[in-house]
Amino acid sequence: MEEKDQNQKRQEVRARLRYIKSLPILPPIASMLNKMVEDEEMTAVRLGAVIEKDQVLTSKLLKMVNSSFFGFPQRISTVSNAIVLLGFSVIKTLIVTSSIFDMMQSSDVGLWEHSLGCATVAGILARRRAIKNPEEVSTAGLIHDLGKVVIRAEFTKEYNEIQGMVETRRLSMMEAELECIGVAHPEIGGWLIKQWNLPDRLILPVLYHHNPEGSPEFRELSAIVHFSDILIRAIGFGSGGDLWVPPLDHQAWERIKMGKGEVKDLLNELDERIIELQDFTIQMQQTKVK
Amino acid sequence: MQSLPISLAAPGMVLAKAVKTEDGKVLCGPGVELTAELINRLSKSGIHVAIVKGHPIHMPDEKSLAELIKELEARFERVKDDPVLRALMRVIAEHMIEQSKM
Repeated sequence: MEEKDQNQKRQEVRARLRYIKSLPILPPIASMLNKMVEDEEMTAVRLGAVIEKDQVLTSKLLKMVNSSFFGFPQRISTVSNAIVLLGFSVIKTLIVTSSIFDMMQSSDVGLWEHSLGCATVAGILARRRAIKNPEEVSTAGLIHDLGKVVIRAEFTKEYNEIQGMVETRRLSMMEAELECIGVAHPEIGGWLIKQWNLPDRLILPVLYHHNPEGSPEFRELSAIVHFSDILIRAIGFGSGGDLWVPPLDHQAWERIKMGKGEVKDLLNELDERIIELQDFTIQMQQTKVK
Repeated sequence: MQSLPISLAAPGMVLAKAVKTEDGKVLCGPGVELTAELINRLSKSGIHVAIVKGHPIHMPDEKSLAELIKELEARFERVKDDPVLRALMRVIAEHMIEQSKM
Protein backbone atom coordinates (compact mmCIF):
# COMPACT_ATOMS: atom_id res chain seq x y z
CA MET A 1 0.00 0.00 0.00
CA GLU A 2 2.71 2.38 1.02
CA GLU A 3 4.73 1.51 -2.06
CA LYS A 4 1.75 2.28 -4.23
CA ASP A 5 1.45 5.66 -2.49
CA GLN A 6 5.06 6.50 -3.22
CA ASN A 7 4.64 5.52 -6.83
CA GLN A 8 1.53 7.63 -7.14
CA LYS A 9 3.31 10.63 -5.63
CA ARG A 10 6.15 10.13 -8.06
CA GLN A 11 3.80 10.09 -11.04
CA GLU A 12 2.10 13.24 -9.79
CA VAL A 13 5.42 15.04 -9.47
CA ARG A 14 6.37 13.99 -12.96
CA ALA A 15 3.05 15.20 -14.37
CA ARG A 16 3.44 18.56 -12.66
CA LEU A 17 6.94 18.94 -14.05
CA ARG A 18 5.59 18.87 -17.58
CA TYR A 19 3.69 22.06 -16.90
CA ILE A 20 6.25 23.75 -14.74
CA LYS A 21 5.47 27.44 -14.34
CA SER A 22 7.55 28.97 -11.61
CA LEU A 23 10.93 28.32 -13.20
CA PRO A 24 12.08 30.68 -15.91
CA ILE A 25 13.50 27.65 -17.68
CA LEU A 26 13.99 28.42 -21.29
CA PRO A 27 15.02 31.83 -22.48
CA PRO A 28 13.50 32.18 -25.99
CA ILE A 29 16.93 31.84 -27.53
CA ALA A 30 17.40 28.29 -26.18
CA SER A 31 14.67 26.70 -28.29
CA MET A 32 16.02 28.54 -31.30
CA LEU A 33 19.48 27.13 -30.65
CA ASN A 34 18.19 23.57 -30.80
CA LYS A 35 16.90 24.13 -34.30
CA MET A 36 20.04 25.91 -35.37
CA VAL A 37 22.42 23.14 -34.34
CA GLU A 38 20.50 20.68 -36.48
CA ASP A 39 21.47 22.76 -39.49
CA GLU A 40 24.57 21.04 -40.85
CA GLU A 41 26.01 24.22 -42.24
CA MET A 42 25.94 25.94 -38.89
CA THR A 43 29.34 27.06 -37.63
CA ALA A 44 30.50 28.24 -34.22
CA VAL A 45 30.93 31.75 -35.61
CA ARG A 46 27.37 31.94 -36.95
CA LEU A 47 25.97 30.41 -33.80
CA GLY A 48 28.01 32.79 -31.67
CA ALA A 49 26.76 35.74 -33.68
CA VAL A 50 23.15 34.80 -32.98
CA ILE A 51 23.77 34.44 -29.23
CA GLU A 52 25.69 37.71 -29.15
CA LYS A 53 22.60 39.60 -30.28
CA ASP A 54 21.39 39.13 -26.72
CA GLN A 55 23.80 41.36 -24.85
CA VAL A 56 22.72 40.50 -21.33
CA LEU A 57 22.98 36.80 -22.01
CA THR A 58 26.34 37.26 -23.71
CA SER A 59 27.83 39.18 -20.82
CA LYS A 60 26.55 36.62 -18.33
CA LEU A 61 27.87 33.81 -20.48
CA LEU A 62 31.35 35.31 -20.82
CA LYS A 63 31.47 35.94 -17.09
CA MET A 64 30.66 32.29 -16.44
CA VAL A 65 33.13 30.86 -18.94
CA ASN A 66 35.91 33.08 -17.59
CA SER A 67 35.14 32.32 -13.96
CA SER A 68 37.46 30.27 -11.85
CA PHE A 69 35.27 27.17 -11.59
CA PHE A 70 36.10 26.29 -15.18
CA GLY A 71 39.73 27.19 -14.59
CA PHE A 72 40.24 27.67 -18.31
CA PRO A 73 43.81 28.97 -18.74
CA GLN A 74 43.18 31.74 -21.27
CA ARG A 75 40.63 34.53 -21.39
CA ILE A 76 37.65 33.82 -23.63
CA SER A 77 36.31 37.00 -25.17
CA THR A 78 33.67 35.98 -27.69
CA VAL A 79 30.80 33.53 -27.66
CA SER A 80 32.03 31.76 -30.79
CA ASN A 81 35.40 31.27 -29.09
CA ALA A 82 33.62 29.87 -26.07
CA ILE A 83 31.72 27.41 -28.28
CA VAL A 84 34.92 26.23 -29.95
CA LEU A 85 36.92 25.96 -26.72
CA LEU A 86 34.33 24.59 -24.29
CA GLY A 87 32.00 22.75 -26.65
CA PHE A 88 28.44 23.50 -27.61
CA SER A 89 26.81 21.38 -24.90
CA VAL A 90 28.57 23.39 -22.18
CA ILE A 91 27.49 26.72 -23.69
CA LYS A 92 23.97 25.50 -24.25
CA THR A 93 23.69 24.30 -20.65
CA LEU A 94 24.89 27.67 -19.40
CA ILE A 95 22.31 29.45 -21.56
CA VAL A 96 19.44 27.20 -20.60
CA THR A 97 20.25 27.39 -16.90
CA SER A 98 21.19 31.07 -16.78
CA SER A 99 17.82 32.21 -15.45
CA ILE A 100 17.73 29.38 -12.92
CA PHE A 101 21.11 30.43 -11.60
CA ASP A 102 19.94 34.05 -11.44
CA MET A 103 17.18 32.84 -9.19
CA MET A 104 19.57 30.76 -7.10
CA GLN A 105 21.91 33.69 -6.57
CA SER A 106 19.14 35.69 -5.00
CA SER A 107 17.15 33.03 -3.15
CA ASP A 108 19.63 30.31 -2.23
CA VAL A 109 23.23 31.52 -2.20
CA GLY A 110 24.22 28.43 -0.20
CA LEU A 111 23.13 26.09 -2.98
CA TRP A 112 24.70 28.34 -5.62
CA GLU A 113 28.04 28.20 -3.80
CA HIS A 114 27.71 24.46 -3.32
CA SER A 115 27.10 24.05 -7.06
CA LEU A 116 30.05 26.27 -8.02
CA GLY A 117 32.26 24.41 -5.56
CA CYS A 118 31.22 21.02 -6.90
CA ALA A 119 31.84 22.24 -10.46
CA THR A 120 35.31 23.40 -9.46
CA VAL A 121 36.32 20.11 -7.84
CA ALA A 122 34.86 18.13 -10.74
CA GLY A 123 36.89 20.20 -13.21
CA ILE A 124 40.12 19.74 -11.27
CA LEU A 125 39.59 15.98 -11.03
CA ALA A 126 38.60 15.67 -14.69
CA ARG A 127 41.76 17.52 -15.72
CA ARG A 128 43.94 15.36 -13.49
CA ARG A 129 42.44 12.25 -15.00
CA ALA A 130 43.00 13.66 -18.49
CA ILE A 131 39.34 13.40 -19.39
CA LYS A 132 38.40 14.89 -22.73
CA ASN A 133 36.53 18.19 -22.34
CA PRO A 134 36.91 18.66 -18.57
CA GLU A 135 34.65 21.74 -18.78
CA GLU A 136 31.77 19.40 -19.54
CA VAL A 137 32.42 17.57 -16.28
CA SER A 138 32.49 20.94 -14.46
CA THR A 139 29.16 21.75 -16.06
CA ALA A 140 27.67 18.47 -14.84
CA GLY A 141 28.89 19.43 -11.36
CA LEU A 142 27.33 22.86 -11.72
CA ILE A 143 23.88 21.46 -12.48
CA HIS A 144 23.98 18.30 -10.32
CA ASP A 145 21.53 19.71 -7.76
CA LEU A 146 19.14 21.38 -10.19
CA GLY A 147 16.40 19.09 -8.86
CA LYS A 148 16.63 20.90 -5.51
CA VAL A 149 15.98 24.23 -7.23
CA VAL A 150 12.95 22.74 -8.96
CA ILE A 151 11.52 21.39 -5.71
CA ARG A 152 12.01 24.73 -4.00
CA ALA A 153 10.46 26.75 -6.82
CA GLU A 154 7.69 24.49 -7.99
CA PHE A 155 6.73 22.51 -4.89
CA THR A 156 6.85 25.24 -2.25
CA LYS A 157 4.59 23.52 0.24
CA GLU A 158 6.46 20.23 -0.02
CA TYR A 159 9.80 22.05 0.12
CA ASN A 160 8.86 23.56 3.47
CA GLU A 161 7.83 20.13 4.72
CA ILE A 162 11.14 18.65 3.52
CA GLN A 163 13.09 21.35 5.32
CA GLY A 164 11.08 20.73 8.46
CA MET A 165 11.86 17.02 8.25
CA VAL A 166 15.58 17.73 7.84
CA GLU A 167 15.55 19.96 10.92
CA THR A 168 13.32 18.08 13.32
CA ARG A 169 13.93 14.47 12.33
CA ARG A 170 17.50 14.99 11.15
CA LEU A 171 16.83 13.29 7.81
CA SER A 172 19.05 14.03 4.83
CA MET A 173 17.48 16.09 2.01
CA MET A 174 17.36 12.97 -0.11
CA GLU A 175 15.56 10.88 2.53
CA ALA A 176 13.09 13.67 3.24
CA GLU A 177 12.41 14.23 -0.48
CA LEU A 178 11.71 10.54 -1.03
CA GLU A 179 9.36 10.39 1.92
CA CYS A 180 7.56 13.61 1.08
CA ILE A 181 7.20 13.52 -2.70
CA GLY A 182 8.26 9.97 -3.57
CA VAL A 183 11.15 11.08 -5.75
CA ALA A 184 14.49 12.71 -4.99
CA HIS A 185 16.35 15.64 -6.54
CA PRO A 186 18.73 13.65 -8.82
CA GLU A 187 15.80 12.14 -10.68
CA ILE A 188 13.90 15.43 -10.86
CA GLY A 189 16.98 17.23 -12.17
CA GLY A 190 17.56 14.41 -14.64
CA TRP A 191 13.96 14.61 -15.95
CA LEU A 192 14.29 18.32 -16.41
CA ILE A 193 17.56 18.36 -18.29
CA LYS A 194 16.47 15.48 -20.50
CA GLN A 195 13.88 17.85 -21.90
CA TRP A 196 16.67 20.15 -23.02
CA ASN A 197 18.24 17.54 -25.33
CA LEU A 198 21.59 17.65 -23.56
CA PRO A 199 24.01 14.75 -24.12
CA ASP A 200 24.06 11.73 -21.78
CA ARG A 201 27.54 12.78 -20.64
CA LEU A 202 25.75 15.59 -18.80
CA ILE A 203 22.45 13.92 -17.94
CA LEU A 204 23.79 10.70 -16.40
CA PRO A 205 26.19 12.28 -13.86
CA VAL A 206 23.28 14.43 -12.62
CA LEU A 207 20.90 11.49 -12.44
CA TYR A 208 23.42 9.23 -10.69
CA HIS A 209 25.39 11.63 -8.53
CA HIS A 210 24.39 9.74 -5.38
CA ASN A 211 24.78 6.24 -6.88
CA PRO A 212 27.24 6.50 -9.77
CA GLU A 213 27.55 2.76 -10.22
CA GLY A 214 23.88 2.62 -11.19
CA SER A 215 24.64 4.68 -14.27
CA PRO A 216 24.34 2.69 -17.52
CA GLU A 217 27.25 4.65 -19.03
CA PHE A 218 29.87 7.26 -18.17
CA ARG A 219 30.42 5.83 -14.69
CA GLU A 220 33.76 7.57 -14.34
CA LEU A 221 32.14 10.97 -14.96
CA SER A 222 29.33 10.14 -12.52
CA ALA A 223 31.92 9.01 -9.96
CA ILE A 224 33.77 12.33 -10.31
CA VAL A 225 30.62 14.39 -9.72
CA HIS A 226 29.68 12.06 -6.83
CA PHE A 227 32.99 12.55 -5.07
CA SER A 228 33.12 16.29 -5.87
CA ASP A 229 29.75 16.71 -4.17
CA ILE A 230 31.04 14.81 -1.12
CA LEU A 231 34.30 16.74 -0.94
CA ILE A 232 32.78 20.19 -1.24
CA ARG A 233 30.26 19.35 1.48
CA ALA A 234 33.05 17.91 3.60
CA ILE A 235 34.92 21.19 3.37
CA GLY A 236 31.76 23.07 4.24
CA PHE A 237 31.68 25.49 1.31
CA GLY A 238 28.11 26.45 0.43
CA SER A 239 25.10 24.43 1.50
CA GLY A 240 23.36 21.41 0.01
CA GLY A 241 20.25 21.81 2.14
CA ASP A 242 21.27 19.64 5.07
CA LEU A 243 24.37 19.64 7.17
CA TRP A 244 25.80 16.21 6.38
CA VAL A 245 28.39 14.72 4.08
CA PRO A 246 26.48 12.21 1.90
CA PRO A 247 27.46 8.51 1.88
CA LEU A 248 30.26 7.36 -0.43
CA ASP A 249 29.70 4.77 -3.15
CA HIS A 250 32.74 2.54 -2.62
CA GLN A 251 32.68 1.00 -6.09
CA ALA A 252 32.76 4.50 -7.54
CA TRP A 253 35.63 5.37 -5.20
CA GLU A 254 37.58 2.39 -6.55
CA ARG A 255 37.39 4.02 -9.99
CA ILE A 256 38.78 7.36 -8.95
CA LYS A 257 40.46 6.77 -5.59
CA MET A 258 43.45 8.83 -4.60
CA GLY A 259 46.07 8.79 -1.89
CA LYS A 260 46.54 11.22 0.96
CA GLY A 261 49.09 13.30 -0.96
CA GLU A 262 46.74 13.76 -3.88
CA VAL A 263 43.89 14.77 -1.61
CA LYS A 264 46.16 17.31 0.08
CA ASP A 265 47.18 18.79 -3.27
CA LEU A 266 43.51 18.96 -4.17
CA LEU A 267 42.69 20.80 -0.94
CA ASN A 268 45.48 23.31 -1.53
CA GLU A 269 44.32 24.01 -5.07
CA LEU A 270 40.76 24.27 -3.85
CA ASP A 271 41.57 26.84 -1.14
CA GLU A 272 42.70 29.30 -3.79
CA ARG A 273 39.82 28.58 -6.08
CA ILE A 274 37.28 29.01 -3.28
CA ILE A 275 38.52 32.50 -2.55
CA GLU A 276 38.05 33.30 -6.23
CA LEU A 277 34.61 31.71 -6.23
CA GLN A 278 33.50 33.90 -3.34
CA ASP A 279 34.55 36.96 -5.31
CA PHE A 280 32.74 35.62 -8.35
CA THR A 281 29.51 35.19 -6.37
CA ILE A 282 29.76 38.77 -5.10
CA GLN A 283 30.39 40.02 -8.64
CA MET A 284 27.45 38.12 -10.11
CA GLN A 285 25.16 39.49 -7.43
CA GLN A 286 26.37 43.03 -7.98
CA THR A 287 25.81 42.88 -11.73
CA LYS A 288 22.27 41.71 -11.07
CA VAL A 289 21.50 44.73 -8.91
CA LYS A 290 22.78 47.19 -11.53
CA MET B 1 46.30 34.41 1.34
CA GLN B 2 43.33 36.56 2.19
CA SER B 3 40.51 38.04 0.19
CA LEU B 4 39.88 41.66 1.17
CA PRO B 5 37.31 44.24 0.15
CA ILE B 6 39.24 46.90 -1.73
CA SER B 7 38.34 49.39 1.02
CA LEU B 8 40.47 47.40 3.48
CA ALA B 9 43.44 46.96 1.14
CA ALA B 10 46.42 49.05 2.24
CA PRO B 11 49.75 50.15 0.76
CA GLY B 12 52.48 47.56 1.33
CA MET B 13 50.20 44.53 0.93
CA VAL B 14 51.23 42.18 -1.88
CA LEU B 15 48.75 40.69 -4.37
CA ALA B 16 48.55 36.89 -4.21
CA LYS B 17 46.31 36.69 -7.26
CA ALA B 18 45.85 38.79 -10.37
CA VAL B 19 43.19 41.46 -10.11
CA LYS B 20 40.76 40.95 -12.98
CA THR B 21 37.78 42.81 -14.34
CA GLU B 22 34.40 41.08 -14.45
CA ASP B 23 35.04 39.68 -17.90
CA GLY B 24 38.44 38.31 -16.97
CA LYS B 25 40.81 41.02 -18.21
CA VAL B 26 43.92 41.21 -16.01
CA LEU B 27 44.48 44.67 -14.50
CA CYS B 28 47.33 43.81 -12.18
CA GLY B 29 49.37 40.64 -11.82
CA PRO B 30 50.21 38.60 -8.71
CA GLY B 31 53.27 39.67 -6.70
CA VAL B 32 52.60 43.38 -7.18
CA GLU B 33 52.91 45.51 -4.04
CA LEU B 34 49.91 47.76 -3.54
CA THR B 35 50.34 51.53 -3.32
CA ALA B 36 47.75 54.15 -2.42
CA GLU B 37 47.61 55.23 -6.04
CA LEU B 38 47.13 51.68 -7.33
CA ILE B 39 44.36 50.93 -4.82
CA ASN B 40 42.63 54.11 -5.87
CA ARG B 41 42.88 53.21 -9.53
CA LEU B 42 41.60 49.66 -8.99
CA SER B 43 38.65 50.85 -7.01
CA LYS B 44 37.82 53.40 -9.74
CA SER B 45 37.87 50.56 -12.28
CA GLY B 46 35.06 48.88 -10.39
CA ILE B 47 37.18 46.30 -8.54
CA HIS B 48 35.66 45.28 -5.22
CA VAL B 49 38.04 42.67 -3.91
CA ALA B 50 41.79 42.04 -3.83
CA ILE B 51 43.41 38.75 -2.85
CA VAL B 52 46.60 39.48 -0.95
CA LYS B 53 49.44 37.39 0.47
CA GLY B 54 49.50 36.38 4.12
CA HIS B 55 46.64 37.20 6.44
CA PRO B 56 47.08 40.91 7.19
CA ILE B 57 43.64 41.67 8.63
CA HIS B 58 41.69 39.80 11.27
CA MET B 59 38.01 39.92 10.33
CA PRO B 60 35.46 39.89 13.17
CA ASP B 61 33.47 36.95 11.76
CA GLU B 62 36.46 34.63 11.36
CA LYS B 63 36.07 31.29 13.12
CA SER B 64 38.70 29.80 15.40
CA LEU B 65 40.42 26.54 14.48
CA ALA B 66 38.58 24.73 17.27
CA GLU B 67 35.23 25.90 15.91
CA LEU B 68 36.19 24.86 12.38
CA ILE B 69 37.18 21.36 13.49
CA LYS B 70 34.01 20.97 15.52
CA GLU B 71 31.89 21.89 12.50
CA LEU B 72 33.90 19.49 10.34
CA GLU B 73 33.17 16.63 12.75
CA ALA B 74 29.48 17.51 12.79
CA ARG B 75 29.33 17.32 8.98
CA PHE B 76 30.83 13.81 9.08
CA GLU B 77 28.57 12.60 11.85
CA ARG B 78 26.39 10.41 9.64
CA VAL B 79 29.27 8.78 7.76
CA LYS B 80 31.73 8.31 10.60
CA ASP B 81 31.65 4.50 10.25
CA ASP B 82 32.96 4.71 6.69
CA PRO B 83 36.76 4.20 6.81
CA VAL B 84 37.40 6.07 3.56
CA LEU B 85 35.40 9.11 4.63
CA ARG B 86 36.91 9.01 8.10
CA ALA B 87 40.34 9.18 6.49
CA LEU B 88 39.14 12.05 4.31
CA MET B 89 37.99 13.90 7.41
CA ARG B 90 41.41 13.48 9.01
CA VAL B 91 43.17 14.84 5.93
CA ILE B 92 40.87 17.88 5.89
CA ALA B 93 41.45 18.45 9.61
CA GLU B 94 45.24 18.28 9.09
CA HIS B 95 44.90 20.71 6.21
CA MET B 96 42.91 23.13 8.39
CA ILE B 97 45.56 22.95 11.10
CA GLU B 98 48.36 23.61 8.59
CA GLN B 99 46.46 26.55 7.12
CA SER B 100 45.90 28.10 10.52
CA LYS B 101 49.65 28.14 11.11
CA MET B 102 50.37 29.97 7.88
